[in-house]
Amino acid sequence: MMSAEVWMGYLVDHAEDYTVVQSPFTMNGVRVFGADSDATTLAVAGVLHRLQHETVDKIGIPDGIDANTVTLATSAHQHEEEATEPLWDLLLSDEATVVLARQGATVELPVLDVEIEVDPDFHGAIQVAWEEELHEAHVSQGAYISRSQYEEAASSRLSLQGQQSGSAIVWPPRFSDTVHGETNDTHVLKPTGTVQSWTTLSAAGAPSEFSLRAPLLGGISTVFLQLDEGPYGVFLTVDDEDTPLSMDLAMELVLRRIYAQEGFIRYGLKARAIQD
Amino acid sequence: MQGRGYEMLHHAATNMVDVAVVGAGQTKYGNHPSGLKGMWAEAASRAFASIDGDFSPASIDEAFIGSIAFGGSQLGNTAALLTEHSAMDNIPVRRVENACASSGFAFRDAWMAIKSGQADVVVAGGIEKMNDLTAERKRYWLGVSGDTEWERLAGLTFPGTYALMARRYFHEFDSTHDDLVNVSVKNHFHGAKNPLAHIRKEVSFEKAAGGFMVADPLTLYDCCPTSDGASCVVLAADHVARQFTDTPIWVKGAGAASDHLALHDRPSITQLKATQQAAERAYRMAGIEARDIDLAEVHDCFTIAEVLATEDLGFAGRGEGGRFAREGSGVLNQGRTTINPSGGLKSKGHPLGATGTGQVVEVFKQLRGEVESERQVRDATNALTHNVGGSGATCAVHVFGRER
Repeated sequence: MMSAEVWMGYLVDHAEDYTVVQSPFTMNGVRVFGADSDATTLAVAGVLHRLQHETVDKIGIPDGIDANTVTLATSAHQHEEEATEPLWDLLLSDEATVVLARQGATVELPVLDVEIEVDPDFHGAIQVAWEEELHEAHVSQGAYISRSQYEEAASSRLSLQGQQSGSAIVWPPRFSDTVHGETNDTHVLKPTGTVQSWTTLSAAGAPSEFSLRAPLLGGISTVFLQLDEGPYGVFLTVDDEDTPLSMDLAMELVLRRIYAQEGFIRYGLKARAIQD
Repeated sequence: MQGRGYEMLHHAATNMVDVAVVGAGQTKYGNHPSGLKGMWAEAASRAFASIDGDFSPASIDEAFIGSIAFGGSQLGNTAALLTEHSAMDNIPVRRVENACASSGFAFRDAWMAIKSGQADVVVAGGIEKMNDLTAERKRYWLGVSGDTEWERLAGLTFPGTYALMARRYFHEFDSTHDDLVNVSVKNHFHGAKNPLAHIRKEVSFEKAAGGFMVADPLTLYDCCPTSDGASCVVLAADHVARQFTDTPIWVKGAGAASDHLALHDRPSITQLKATQQAAERAYRMAGIEARDIDLAEVHDCFTIAEVLATEDLGFAGRGEGGRFAREGSGVLNQGRTTINPSGGLKSKGHPLGATGTGQVVEVFKQLRGEVESERQVRDATNALTHNVGGSGATCAVHVFGRER
């Protein structure tokens, strides 16, 4: 077994021609996704990991991974020219594993040494809840955030794209800012910050768009973070880690599922304690 | 910074007609058996009946009615639907929506209509039907007045938003959840004496402290109930007010402001800038200070909101709102200013769109010495209402007095 690097809550094996991203969770010896993870969230983690080392552009993205979300969260674009081959491919495995591989590379799936066993009942219930949420006809009684409204600021929400005005960083971006003046320069913030406040909503108090999963999760937690570059933001915490929250706790932001309705998954950044 | 328009308004307000409240009434808050029409008709008839002089609904020139349209299944033309059931025919009416501050702003609009000289007698009211919805549908509304694109995707409803404010407040200042419990106990103590309150029972400190956790650190006893209700007040210009009553209650100051909807866009989450600005404007127009206020109906949708309001309105210093609650300074006739003698949103109830003018109903009766004797604020001369929309995005503050 290999020692795994933990990256954004996932296990990563970085090789010269490929990056393997695996869920740390197993059930009966088989790797499974965490409660708010899927192939798209693993793919984004893989691309972001690779981007630490080299430029990644023009990726072949298979069905099963949301290409729009990968692009918005990483700025790496899906390869769409039929005449040429993409430089990179995202590959899916059956076992909660995604590989970002250079075109033509031979991939050797590692056997990583982290295995967190999940309760089969919990895992099954969460999957059923997601399937129900994802049904085309499912519209919760929660606040309706249409696809159009979701996408308008998706680059800010999924990759922390903000604005710079002199030394001031503005996030979320604004169409008009009387405090900082003109803020036309794009600035991508670092996905780290510290807890300024937090709350855990009981299942009964959670928004109804979370009503299928909040009871299974024992409620949902939200943190009010000050990002390391100054701006503030509110974020859910990841569903599959149970870190006690405290003031000034250092956290990182990672892509996860938020909720789904009408067959459309809303992704977003969630906070997890920096502890790896 | 105040806009030039506000300066002009302030100038005009101090040089134009004075405005008085001459009648006020409301339904009991709670699970009301009537629908929208019946509730409004009841509130309006009570308001009209409170006018002891020569009045008929035909005297009314215009009406502004606050509502979010939570339930009741009437989103469009709400105001016209209601006013035809209170004998207010063929006058200009409209619904005003500013979240939970809807009727605070309806009152402001009514006041401005008279100030402008376009009307002499104007109705301001509010209404909300909340208990005709299933629990799932109710939860849809509890948070739609935040910056939903960001805050709902972070899992927040308003209990969660105010919980974030509360925990931060405890961190920044000498305060604990016990201070919030004191707010809850006080408001239930007041509300138990109010026959129109939704929850008419006192709660012990121990019971309030041990309530079911809704959004840590806020328990059920930190949260207002979801109430049905309607409220209605009649405003009149000074040159006609005396024909309606010998004891008008004068609107001495009016202030309003807005702020970022989202918590993360504000420099501080332990104060509401909109409240501070609205209060400053209202006090300035009235020519009085916070210490001159004998009673205040403040927007305690959550107990932490009352703690922050006592600071933002100037009844307590910055960071001293917790101690203000701990020492019982807002308890009926105990300190300089009684806070929420009606029971506040916590006990009287919070039928969203009706709350702002419902606060005016309480103040009107208190200043005229017409509430039940066991909850009458002694020698009340000046009073204040404070109505907040969302987690502080909008706020309307009004100062009232027995004397012009």
